[in-house]
Amino acid sequence: MFHRKVATFAASALALGLLAGSAFAATTVNFTVAEYSSKTGPFYKEVAADFEKANPDIKINIEVVPWDSLLQRLTTDIAGGTPPDISIIGTRWLLDFASQGVAEPIDSYLTPEFKGAFIDTFMKPGIIKGKTMGLPVAASARAMVINTDLYEKAGVKPPKTWEELYQASQKIAKLPDTFGFGLQGKEIETDAYFYYALWTYGGDILRADGKSGLDSPEALAAVSLYKKMIDEGLTQPSPTNYSREDVFNLFKQGKVGTIFTFPMLIPQIKAEAPNLHYAVLPFPVEKTEATYGVTDTLMLFSSSKVKKAAWKFIEFTYQDKYRKQFDLGEGFLPVTKNIAALDYFKTDKDIAGFAAGLPYAKFAPVIANWEEIADTTVRALQQIYLGQVSPADGLKAAAKKINEIRGL
Amino acid sequence: MLKKSILFWLILSPLVVVILFPFGVMFVSAFRPREELFTYPPTWTFSEFRWANFAEMWVKTNFGQALLNSLYVSVLSTLLAMILSIPAAYALSRYRFPGKRAYRTFLLMTQMMSPIVLVLGLFRMMVALGLVNTLNSLVLTYAAFNMAFTIWMLQSYFSTIPRDLEEAAWIDGAGHLTSLLKVFLPLAVPAMAVTAIFGFINSWNEFVLALTMIRSSDGFTLPVQIYSQVAGRYQIEWHHVMAATMLATLPVAIVFSWLQRFLIRGMALGAVK
Amino acid sequence: MTSSTSLKPLAMILPGLALAILIIGYPIYDLGYASLHEVSRFGQLRDFNGFNNFRDVFEDPLFYGSLIRTLIWTFAVVGGTLALSLPIAMMLNEEFYGRGLARVIIMLPWSISLTMTAVVWRWALNGRAGLFNATLMDLGILKEPIEWLGEANQAFTVEILIGILVSIPFTTTIFLGGLSALPQDTYEAAAVDGATRWKQFRHITLPLMKPFINIAVVLNVIYVFNSLPIIWVMTEGGPANGTDILVTYLYKLAFRFGQLGKASAISLIMFGVLLIFTIIYVLLVMRGEAGAEAEE
Repeated sequence: MFHRKVATFAASALALGLLAGSAFAATTVNFTVAEYSSKTGPFYKEVAADFEKANPDIKINIEVVPWDSLLQRLTTDIAGGTPPDISIIGTRWLLDFASQGVAEPIDSYLTPEFKGAFIDTFMKPGIIKGKTMGLPVAASARAMVINTDLYEKAGVKPPKTWEELYQASQKIAKLPDTFGFGLQGKEIETDAYFYYALWTYGGDILRADGKSGLDSPEALAAVSLYKKMIDEGLTQPSPTNYSREDVFNLFKQGKVGTIFTFPMLIPQIKAEAPNLHYAVLPFPVEKTEATYGVTDTLMLFSSSKVKKAAWKFIEFTYQDKYRKQFDLGEGFLPVTKNIAALDYFKTDKDIAGFAAGLPYAKFAPVIANWEEIADTTVRALQQIYLGQVSPADGLKAAAKKINEIRGL
Repeated sequence: MLKKSILFWLILSPLVVVILFPFGVMFVSAFRPREELFTYPPTWTFSEFRWANFAEMWVKTNFGQALLNSLYVSVLSTLLAMILSIPAAYALSRYRFPGKRAYRTFLLMTQMMSPIVLVLGLFRMMVALGLVNTLNSLVLTYAAFNMAFTIWMLQSYFSTIPRDLEEAAWIDGAGHLTSLLKVFLPLAVPAMAVTAIFGFINSWNEFVLALTMIRSSDGFTLPVQIYSQVAGRYQIEWHHVMAATMLATLPVAIVFSWLQRFLIRGMALGAVK
Repeated sequence: MTSSTSLKPLAMILPGLALAILIIGYPIYDLGYASLHEVSRFGQLRDFNGFNNFRDVFEDPLFYGSLIRTLIWTFAVVGGTLALSLPIAMMLNEEFYGRGLARVIIMLPWSISLTMTAVVWRWALNGRAGLFNATLMDLGILKEPIEWLGEANQAFTVEILIGILVSIPFTTTIFLGGLSALPQDTYEAAAVDGATRWKQFRHITLPLMKPFINIAVVLNVIYVFNSLPIIWVMTEGGPANGTDILVTYLYKLAFRFGQLGKASAISLIMFGVLLIFTIIYVLLVMRGEAGAEAEE
């Protein structure tokens, strides 16, 4: 009896194996990959193929999702009961995932050796209430990029303070058909463009007591400077119609003196505007140095039934050769020590310019409802830029709303 | 006639210009070399026809696969909607039955729910049915969302086909089914063709559901594939986006123009009324 | 006999009805259920919370702003579309040189998905890299590029105009169908009686076209009210929520902020608004038709 059962089982398993070919493999790991560029998908598929060759019993199923719909995709996946086993997520969402029990703490999987491969700064945002909820997978820091030709033409030096930036922009804006300062005012990361100033003015997104820092004098000073530059025609007209991409395009056209950006812009400039001369510099400083560090996280789902296999794959992807290919290909800053030690990140002065800010990088606070708070900030900024409210009133109202959202 | 033609074209010309404008933009952006995309001021002219843009785009955006997916979903959902709609529309136009008014109201109400409003519930249901990440989930939903409109259209066309013809055939000894096949159907074909075009275009262009139901990029339909080239990217390759949009639009535009005579004939059928 | 005649039509509508109830009915039920519960960030239903979600909606100033803009958006797009489509359909119904071409062109916007149309327009309207400004400047109409989407009212106007443009083909098709069904002899008789074109239009065309106008109004209102892609792709409801309509606000609430309970409540409210509109409209139209029949 028993034997017969086994035999039937074996036969049917064999039949299944014959039918499905490689699906004979016992486990399938579903991995949702955020699409940074057209290289992302092919890169991870290549890694997965290598992995499957080394581990024929595990199959990696990769789903590439555009960034803009990633959160929606994961939301519907989780709601529908079909979450993946691993996903790349924005670190700013991690708290929501962790507090809802969606993310699996990974401390028990992390060997000291593997943990030691990461740069501590980037591990920190993934630690919630003492538990490591994810691994940094991509990192970037922001910096100021100037068009050195325009600066030369206007006869001004690269700015070190906001006052110098203001004066330089005045001179550059006087050049024909040119703008001094490219200001983003539309869609994703409009708030980040303001945080750069907020932080270097000595302010912060949240105060020490957890309340919004938008109604602080530092925030007011920072936004007032932006508003003054808009009003005096030092920025491009109608910043509220310029998304991140639009501001960068303006820069590639050589029409704007200064912008704030991320490392991924550099390969674009080289490809699309090879004759443009530029320099990557730290943000202007009023009180302190600061930059915006952004990380994305590789998260393991608590609902996964194949955590071991998934973790094996995760470790596999962090091999130096893959990390190097990924970071260099996408233009990210390294999250692991070995890659950071590569000459490239020191000798390439563009990348070095961005990496320079890492020691004093600030991260978006890991708090619940971050997207809604960011949206509230963006709305206030747009109202101020458009002149619908005064800077003081706009910030005060936004701070009040954010405190409400935070339940404070 | 000539005077009238000139006058009409003059009146229509602003609209024609505005309609053709985005096609022009698409065309010149798709063909120009990438480095000429951001010249200021932008120009309509460009240095060369960069056919390579299309070849690059085809590979980079996995266009062929998306095209097949779109075709599969649109054709099947249209077929399904038609198969279910034709008898329903016939029943509405030829019979009295209890609950007819309630049925009509239900049809109108199904029109009122936009997919976006229902997306979460739909998704949960497709998971339960094991259809998530399959193109068939789209076939079913598109057919359901299109049906209200196709039934409506077909019914109004069917009502214009005189019942006497069928009854005459009936009296001549043909069975009901035969009279249906021999007399009614041939008259109704143009109307069905027109209605099918409506359904096909709706499915071809649907966005929100496709974005939600299809998880892996291999299953993306054209609108989602093109949107994914624009949304949240660190860099938008506008020449590829425009090339893809052009290719996605061309087949429908051609089919559309080609089926115009059906459209017109189908409309003229109303004249029998 | 009676039972067979009443069963047959029921059997004919049943398969379609079953599909519609499954695909559209079930999610509505699901939505109603979710709207009365606390829903987690990821759509897992938690405790029953009565009408809290609805209260949240009604205490939200952004909801009212979006509601008002939705009404403006719907009214403006549908009104504009109807006003333009009727004369266009009447022209396309007449014989003239190149009519086939004209029909193809007017119908063209229909063949592109709204998403793609919006993507192309966003690119074309780009202040400095877009060809729209460049063309107007070449023609000497503009001196400086205009940032069409930089300010809410202007952006909303542009979006309404594009909304009209993409709604014209569908509406024109309905009207063309109606016009070709009009009896020619009535016009001939009227012409013999010396009725002017305007009088013919006012007293023959318009009344006979009424059922087609009605259906165009109802369907357009439903489509436009629920239409997301144009506004979403071009401005995402910004700047400062100045172009948010209910669907864009709903989308943000559900998929950005993860407030699925509140989003379900808004979905139901939208459904309610449309339902009331349709009922009122159907009642008015029916009463009008009944009145017209009585006059005859």
